[in-house]
Amino acid sequence: MLSSTTEDRNETRMTDRVTRLKAAVQESAPGICTERALIWTRYHRHPANRRKPAAIQMAEALQRVLTQKSIAIYPDELIVGNFTAKRVGGSLYPELHGLPMLEDLFKFPTRKTNPLQITRREQWDLLKIIPFWSRRWLGYRTYPTLGRRLRFILHQLRGEYYLINESGGIAHLAPDYARLINDGTDVIAAEARRRQAEAEPGSERAHFYAAVRIIAESLARFGERYARRAETMAARESDSVRRAELKAIAAVCRRVPRQPAASFHEALQAVFLAQIALNLESLDNAICPGRMDQYLFPFYARDLEAGILTPARARELVAAFCIKMAEIVPVFSERLTRIHGGMFNGQVVTVGGVDADGRDAVNDLSHLFLDVMDALRMRQPNFHARLHDGSPKTYRDRINAILAAGSNSPALYNDEIIVETMCRQGYRLEDARDYTGVGCVEPVSQGRSFASTDAALVNVPILLELALNEGRRFGTRCRTGVPTPPVSAMRAMADVRRAFEAQLEFQLTRLVDDLHAVERANRLYHPTPLTSMLLDGCLENGACSTAGGARYNFSGIQCVGPADAGDALFAIEQAVFRDRKISLTALFGQLRDDWPDPEMRSYFLRLPKFGNDDPAVDGWTRYVVERFNHILARFRNTRGGAYTTGLYSVTAHQYFGELTGALPHGRQQGQAFASGIAPVNGMDRQGPTALINSVNRLDFTQTANGINFNIKLDPFTLRGKTGRAGLNGLVQTYFRRGGMQMQVNVLDPEMLIEARDHPERHPHLLVRVSGYSAYFNDLTPAMQEEIIQRSCLAHG
Amino acid sequence: MQLDDTHPPTSVKGLVFDVQRFSLHDGPGIRTTVFFKGCPLRCRWCQNPESLRSRPEVAFYGENCQACFRCEAECPHGAIRRTPGRRVDFDGCDGCGRCVRVCPHEGLRQVGAWWSAEALVAEVLKDRDFFVDGGGVTLSGGEPFAQSPFLEKFLPSLKAAGLHVTVQTCGHFSWNHVAPLVPLVDLIYFDLKHMDPDAHACCTGAHNRRILENFTRLVATGARIEPRMPVIPGSNDDRANIRATARWLAQNDIETIRCLPYHNLGEAKGRRIGIKLEPLTVTDAVETAMARVQAAFAHEGIHAVIDD
Ligand code: SF4
Ligand code: SF4
Repeated sequence: MLSSTTEDRNETRMTDRVTRLKAAVQESAPGICTERALIWTRYHRHPANRRKPAAIQMAEALQRVLTQKSIAIYPDELIVGNFTAKRVGGSLYPELHGLPMLEDLFKFPTRKTNPLQITRREQWDLLKIIPFWSRRWLGYRTYPTLGRRLRFILHQLRGEYYLINESGGIAHLAPDYARLINDGTDVIAAEARRRQAEAEPGSERAHFYAAVRIIAESLARFGERYARRAETMAARESDSVRRAELKAIAAVCRRVPRQPAASFHEALQAVFLAQIALNLESLDNAICPGRMDQYLFPFYARDLEAGILTPARARELVAAFCIKMAEIVPVFSERLTRIHGGMFNGQVVTVGGVDADGRDAVNDLSHLFLDVMDALRMRQPNFHARLHDGSPKTYRDRINAILAAGSNSPALYNDEIIVETMCRQGYRLEDARDYTGVGCVEPVSQGRSFASTDAALVNVPILLELALNEGRRFGTRCRTGVPTPPVSAMRAMADVRRAFEAQLEFQLTRLVDDLHAVERANRLYHPTPLTSMLLDGCLENGACSTAGGARYNFSGIQCVGPADAGDALFAIEQAVFRDRKISLTALFGQLRDDWPDPEMRSYFLRLPKFGNDDPAVDGWTRYVVERFNHILARFRNTRGGAYTTGLYSVTAHQYFGELTGALPHGRQQGQAFASGIAPVNGMDRQGPTALINSVNRLDFTQTANGINFNIKLDPFTLRGKTGRAGLNGLVQTYFRRGGMQMQVNVLDPEMLIEARDHPERHPHLLVRVSGYSAYFNDLTPAMQEEIIQRSCLAHG
Repeated sequence: MQLDDTHPPTSVKGLVFDVQRFSLHDGPGIRTTVFFKGCPLRCRWCQNPESLRSRPEVAFYGENCQACFRCEAECPHGAIRRTPGRRVDFDGCDGCGRCVRVCPHEGLRQVGAWWSAEALVAEVLKDRDFFVDGGGVTLSGGEPFAQSPFLEKFLPSLKAAGLHVTVQTCGHFSWNHVAPLVPLVDLIYFDLKHMDPDAHACCTGAHNRRILENFTRLVATGARIEPRMPVIPGSNDDRANIRATARWLAQNDIETIRCLPYHNLGEAKGRRIGIKLEPLTVTDAVETAMARVQAAFAHEGIHAVIDD
């Protein structure tokens, strides 16, 4: 029986080693590492290499990286493996986003947000590879003819209507790490060899298996490099304790990932080495270890029983692993930062949930991961906690306590609705039950899905601008949408809807055309044998994941700005067709000229908005999501999978907002849209229960690619046992009624201070003042000070 | 919140100045708190001055006002002023709210609206799904029992819907009107401000005889009562008052009291509706006073819980 004591569970204090490791990572300025880009280029510069089949090129290039990149074992480390040559760093993928990424080459170290260190010499080295990749990067190769090629690149650079992320690589997956640690790479390579023998020589299939064999062996040798390094270091180490540790590291890396992991330590080490290699192969974005508490548990239990592991030691190893994850950062140009937010590469670790039979799967490791997460509070990994009706109380209590204390993590996921939604998309029940989030919020089956969950983002509100202007942007003559009737001919709300739907359909059709081309380019020029060997189905089918080899295939398309579009449509219905406050033509004039009449705008601003428990207006947001999903569901990707709808936007809601004209809900030109499924900025004025009632009006079986629902709560409200119980009540009610995901953010002092200094940024921040709640902006300076003081105390 | 009507009602309606959803510290579980407007007391430390008068009022938010004077043209009583920083002549204003509806900048807000029992029930039922773990509805104020004719219609509907009902009262009400309502209430928070009649009158503007009588009667009905005491350093936290309060509780077989710390938040809110509270001399830091009071109660054998 493996129930750890309460004392163990509440142990969030970290060992000195962990404190030092964390400090070392947090104090390192993130940098850019050129190694991958340069080795990759060197390999491809050889014309002979370029003539090899794509899968072989890929495997050999990655093999070169894994054998030639610099390796390091840092002081105090137990889990080893360095993603880049810098302690905290990112790699470049010139063959993927190549040129567009290098547009910032000389700005990286000095830019204001997320500066990345890079030396003159490194800049110069990168500059020299630009000509080679200028006609070989994936975006350039998407379309074969020059005309379409240029149009595609221009569209992507402007990105008014949609942004295709897949053209910079796919990634976004949770590998089958259970197989890696239970079988080891030799067993996988042997399977590939067997299957290759049956494949027709020279076929794509045979090449694929050959590539898998190359890369499986390279991964094993990558581990052995660290074993050798640890042995050398041990021989020179004067401190006997550290010497023993280095020897242990060497022993671990001698075995894994080549052989099945024989201990908890080995399992963690194997996963991390594969984590590095996968990031280097496919793109450093959302490569997710996933349900670690599940696939690691047998190792944990065995070691504990054998007396070679204690919970405290396990905690230290897990902490060491998590800190290593934070060493991996993405390299985004300023433009991409605006779309993807800063320094976030979405490596998800999921705990809890049900097992294949639907029974609760929470175990001691689930708690241990939560403890480590709470104690570390680092940027990565991104922690998710699954909940279901039968989640144990101790588990819920632990999560509620962590959230109420202001950790803002883990994000919460509802098994009931997610499993149902996945089954409707064609997942087998037991595979759906084995889901984990990847990236931000997207559910996939661990080790079985190639779901390209971040394929593209669509600017939905801008389509209303087109719908009101015959398929053109305000103030332009050139038509970029489909022709729809002028506003003067729109007699009823149904006419507006029809025009909006026509624009939506037109853009989604165009998007899918482009996506098909990008999918083909990925398959032709950027196959991913390492990824594929860790996804169920690829070996069996003899096909790379980019060619549809995985068991489940999808592409996730994000519907950005649903609440803005919904509120805007409601405003038209209410003001034009119900109250007859203004004619559609006059409203059109207001929008085209960005609200010349402030009073008219003020009227529109005050109309009901999504998020306030008003069924009439909430219904319009629901409508937008349903239409989006309905149209999208007609298409299939080239891997044979469906396009699914996601409701999260990272920071694209700001990017798209900047490009979009005025809209009827009182929004001015250029203002950011609401994030994810949030109400239009600060327009939820009735508190969390009303907001949840509104959100619960959406049908989340339509959003198979996941949603992001952020709720902000005042720490003062969440204080004490009562506060935690209240939080539990909110979550349970929301989930019981079909909610999908929720992220609880506790207002921190910084946010309040910002609200004090810039009231316009947080117009309706709700805080509690002695038993009643108030908008922060309504408080006098003295009261605001008191609230800030209070929240400082609550945050400790 | 839905504003029902700002004109005096024809049928029995309730005058409510706020409906606060997701209240966590006003009774068990997640609650919706209804703030009734109108109070028989005038506590010098009042933290909800907008709850005092039993009629609708308007509040002026000077920081939002753009001095456009649309409100001026709309006011039937000439109660709008052009003085900077002051818009409403609170003596002339009858709270009709016409100015609020025309103000484009949220410079004016209605405080208090007449609700029908049906509308108020519908409003609290919106959060019914959240009233798990003992949650429900809290009637606060102001003094909810001052609107007993309305409660006669409102409370039975809440009970019919199966909701847990908590009432927060200052105790100053007519027993004959309230007695029939008591069985419809699950929990009563009863404020005991001062045991000394003169001191009570001085702090709150009313004698405490009626309050203490009502307390005893309520206890006698067997209703679930939790006494509360707002601890105002320098006004009611002296040893003698604590001792007297403790004895009073002991006489009524009660062992616990909730102590509420004082926050000076009423003053700023009062200014918006033209209520000037006499500044209060607070003799002690709130935390020190709370600790002292708790110890003093313990000495008398009463368990004091510090609410926050
Ligand atoms: S209408 Fe509003 S903004 Fe204009 S003067 Fe009156 S209070 Fe001020
Ligand atoms: S609420 Fe007062 S100030 Fe406003 S219009 Fe009515 S009487 Fe005039």
